[in-house]
Order: sequence, then C-alpha cells, then structure tokens
Amino acid sequence: MTDTLAATLDLLAEAAARADARHEFIPKVTWPQGIRMAVNVTLDFDAMLLRRLMNEPPSQLAKGEFGGRVGIWRMIALFDSLAIKGTVFTPGRIVELYPEALRHVHAQGHEIADHMWEHHVPKNPDLERDHLRKASAAIESITGSKPVGTRSWHTQSLLQEEGFLYNSHGHAHHLPHYHRDPGTGKALLNLPFHYVIDDAMFYSFAWLGSPNQAQRISDPDRVGDMWWDAFRQQYQQGGYLNIVMHPFVSGRALRVAMMDRLLRRMQAMPGVWFPTSEQLARHVLATHPAQER
Amino acid sequence: MPWKQGYTVSDEIGLKDDELAWPRGAACAIQLVIDLNIATTPEGITPKDLESDAAVFAATEGLAQLRTVLARHAMRATVSVPAVLARIRPETIRALVQDGHEIAAGGLKGEDVSTLSREQEQSRLTATTAWIAEAAGTRPLGWFGLPRQSDPFAGGTVSPHTIDLLIDAGYRYFGNGQADDIPYYWVTDAAIGRGTDAAIGRALLTLPYHYHFDDQWFCMFPSKGTGLENPDFLARNWRAEFAAQYARGRHFHMVVHPQHSGWANRAQMLDDFLAHLRAHPDLWIATGTELAAHWAAAHPPQTHLRLAPSIWKDYDGSLS
Repeated sequence: MTDTLAATLDLLAEAAARADARHEFIPKVTWPQGIRMAVNVTLDFDAMLLRRLMNEPPSQLAKGEFGGRVGIWRMIALFDSLAIKGTVFTPGRIVELYPEALRHVHAQGHEIADHMWEHHVPKNPDLERDHLRKASAAIESITGSKPVGTRSWHTQSLLQEEGFLYNSHGHAHHLPHYHRDPGTGKALLNLPFHYVIDDAMFYSFAWLGSPNQAQRISDPDRVGDMWWDAFRQQYQQGGYLNIVMHPFVSGRALRVAMMDRLLRRMQAMPGVWFPTSEQLARHVLATHPAQER
Repeated sequence: MPWKQGYTVSDEIGLKDDELAWPRGAACAIQLVIDLNIATTPEGITPKDLESDAAVFAATEGLAQLRTVLARHAMRATVSVPAVLARIRPETIRALVQDGHEIAAGGLKGEDVSTLSREQEQSRLTATTAWIAEAAGTRPLGWFGLPRQSDPFAGGTVSPHTIDLLIDAGYRYFGNGQADDIPYYWVTDAAIGRGTDAAIGRALLTLPYHYHFDDQWFCMFPSKGTGLENPDFLARNWRAEFAAQYARGRHFHMVVHPQHSGWANRAQMLDDFLAHLRAHPDLWIATGTELAAHWAAAHPPQTHLRLAPSIWKDYDGSLS
C-alpha cells in the first residue's frame, strides 16, 4: 500500500517537474523608455474555416464569413483611426480566400502572423511541416516575407527550425515568458492571452462546442467593463495585456463601437504602448533573453 | 472543384457604409421580425407543443401584447409564420395583415429542414406557400429558417437545397443570413453567369440576422423554469447595435417572439426600446419585401455582386 502511494507521488512529482522545466518566467518585464504598459491587439482571422473544419452547417459558415466580408475591414479601420498597430493571426487558407483584405492589412502596417494552414495541426510530422510551410508561403505571398509569429499548437522544435520568434498561445503566466522544448532545450518566447480577454467567449454562441446550457452570450458594455478592469490592474503594475478578437465576432458594429471607446480610454492613460506582437517580441528577446543552457 | 463550394455563400467584400443609400435619404433601415414559431425541437411544431401553456399564451395574450406595442410606435413588422399555424389560426394571420404587417413563411411547421431530402423539402415548401397565401390573401415572398431555442447553433437552419428551391418557387428573399449586417446575396452556383459581362451566379437576396438581437436567447434560455433570464443583455445589445448602425447609416434588425417578449415585463422593455428608437429622425421602417424591392433596384447583383474567380485548390493532406 505504502509502495503504491509512493509510486503515485513519484509520478505526480515528475509531471510537475516536467511542467516546471518547460516554462521560464520573467519576473518583471521592462518596457522601452517612457512606456508603462504594453497592449497587444490581436485578431484571429479564422472566418469560416474552423466552422468548415468541424463540419458545421451553412448558417455557421455564414457567421464566420462575416469576418472576411465585413469584420476584418472594420477592425483595421478602427485600428488605423486610433494609430494602433495590430497583429492578424491568419490561417493560410484564409489568405487564399481573402487576399484583398490581407493585402490591405499589410499595406496599413499591421503584422500578419501564422494561425496554422487550416486551423489544425496534423499528427503526422511530415504533414505538419508541410502545413506550416504552406501557411508561411501563403503569408509571404501577401507580405513579401515569412511570418515570425504564430498562434498555434505546432511542435515547438519545428517552429524554431522554421525561424519563428514567438508563439502567442499558452497562458502559464500573464507576462511574456519562455517555453523550453524538452527535446532540444531551446526556448521560444510566448505572448500569453487569457480566455477572459477573448471576444468569442462572450459573443459567440456554441463557442468551443459549449452546449446551450452553458451559453454566456453577453453585451458589449459588460465585456468592455471586464476588459477595462483587466487593463487598469495591469496598468498599475506596469504589465501586459493581450486582447484577442475575431473579425467575425468583434467586427459587428456594436462591438466595434465598444472597442473604439475602450481603446480610446486606454490611449488616454500616459505611457501605454500598442506595438505589433513582433515589435513586442523583439523588445523582450533583446532585453530579457532566455537563460543560456 | 467548383468555386468556394462549402466555404462561402457570397462575395468577398461587403458593401461599405458610404455605398449605401436608403429610400428618401433615410439614415437607417429598421426591420422588426416577429417569429410565431413555438416548436421546441428540430422536427417543428408538434401536438404537444401546441398544448403547452407557452403556445396558448403566445397565440393569445402574447401576440395581442406585441400588436399593441407595435401599433403604439407605428412599427410595421415582418412575421415569420409556420404554415401549420396559418391553417390552424387563420384569424390570427388576417389580424396581422390588417395591422399592416408582412406575412412571410417560417417553414411548414417551423422545422429544421437540413435533414430532409430535396423532394420532401420541395413538397413542404409548395404546401407552405399555398397555405400561407390562403390565410394571408397574398403569397409569401419571404422565407425564414429561424432557429429554435434547442438548436445547437443559433443562426437558423437550411438544407443544401433550400436556397435553390426558394429561387425556383419565386421567393424574393431569405430572411436570416449571418454573412452581413445589411442585405446581401446568397450565391448557390457561381459557375452560372461566368463568361458573361458580370459573374453574378445564381443568387437569392438574404436579409441579415444575428442572434444577439433575438429575444429567445435571453429570455428563460434554453428552457422555461430552469433557463437563464438576461433581458438586460438583450436591451443593451439592441441599443448598442441600433446606435452603431444608425451612426453608420446601415440596417438594424431585431427578432421577437410572442411567448417571450409578449410577457408584460418584457413587453415594457420592448416598448421602452421602440420609444427610444422612434425618437431618432430619418428612420426607414421597412418590411422584408420592401427591403428586397429597394435592394433589387439600388444594388442589383449585376452591378453589386463581386464574385472573385475561384482560387481554391485541392492539396494532398488538406481540406478540399
């Protein structure tokens, strides 16, 4: 009996040690001169692709299609009107469907980063590499250069072989931090976001397969208050906030109006920096590099 | 591989704010939809549904309450009617016509048609058109596939054949599409029309729907007795969307049900919102058919539907 308990504890302790070894935190991230807090405004430009991948019905595809026909243009117009630079994480397939919108995103000076070829990562390693390269090539066809950022669950060693500087997916810490690949020992910067600062959580019915009893569809005033509170708390600490939006969700007129009010309120505070994710990543990599191993 | 079959239903870029012009220089088009569906399951209205207190309330006090509130604010609505209700309660339909509302089709019995065969769906569609025409005095020109509270997705249901069948049956519009917040064209076959002056495909005008402006998702959702009651979310969504769309000069739509918004407390909320809306100048309160007629004249597909050529490719190991 005691042996069994000891073995159980060993297994749990090893799991905890592996998790700890995979993360390297930065206790206090410092920002460029005069900057108190950094805000990344990021768009997941999934449009209808995830709906298609999950074989959802035509009404769901149309819901996503709003993002490509209407939402992306409105979000970019909003950022431009406030002189804010955003990052658009786009699946490669969406580049094929909405090239004109993405050319506009690039022309206006926003970053375009990877969001997987088809919003999923194949299990087969060769196919995974093929997908990642296809997605990068699709983005390069718009921007003229390969993306340096991704929001994906691609294998970290593959991302690093392909030259990616950062991922923006995990949420083991609220500040930018490093993920260390257990195999290669190399660290990759992660720009975290929390699901509470994700528009789909509050506006998208059946989000992540949630059943009807678990719907939390809400209104923009309530979401705006929640996000303002999150911003204010980080502002006091001199921290970081990553705001995740989907053009098919936040591109609706009532939510664009809310974001306009919210972003203006943030901009009115001294020392708030709205860089692209790449700009922020390069700053952190230069000033807070991962420890040598 | 045809065009973007299975991925998109319309063109790649919607009309921008400054490309819109409403009749008589109106600042914003307003469409209020009353959904008479009382079905609780995808199969549509059942005998059990009709015997429920909610259905009795909807047919009597609930609808009377909505008619009173709408009349107070001179709001003309578009009513989505399951055809069986037009047969069972034709006097209700006649009263709504008398009020000046438009009667549109809401399926044979407010059902999810997505699992029907084309033949089944066609015969139901033919019966629906005839039954509603008989009760309303004129044939319906609009068709709604609105969702039920129990649906797994809140956007409404169509089959792969619905839009084609509606075009063949002479319908002018489909009432609930989510790909825009103004009317847009639902394209069923982009290949038709290729090689001519304009690639417009085979398309049906679609009016916008978004579940955040539909009362059923905020009123005792997803079921009576145990559901969530969040009417304040709904009221704020109506106000925020109306303010934003009015400022942009676009279109505002909302959907109400007699069994939900007909209850006195919620009818008061609707009354307050309509008073707020009506305090704004230059509104165009339009029914579905009026919107469709305006759109056909001002934004015909020949000049306003911009289908990009197919760029979709099949790759090994990728979605086709």
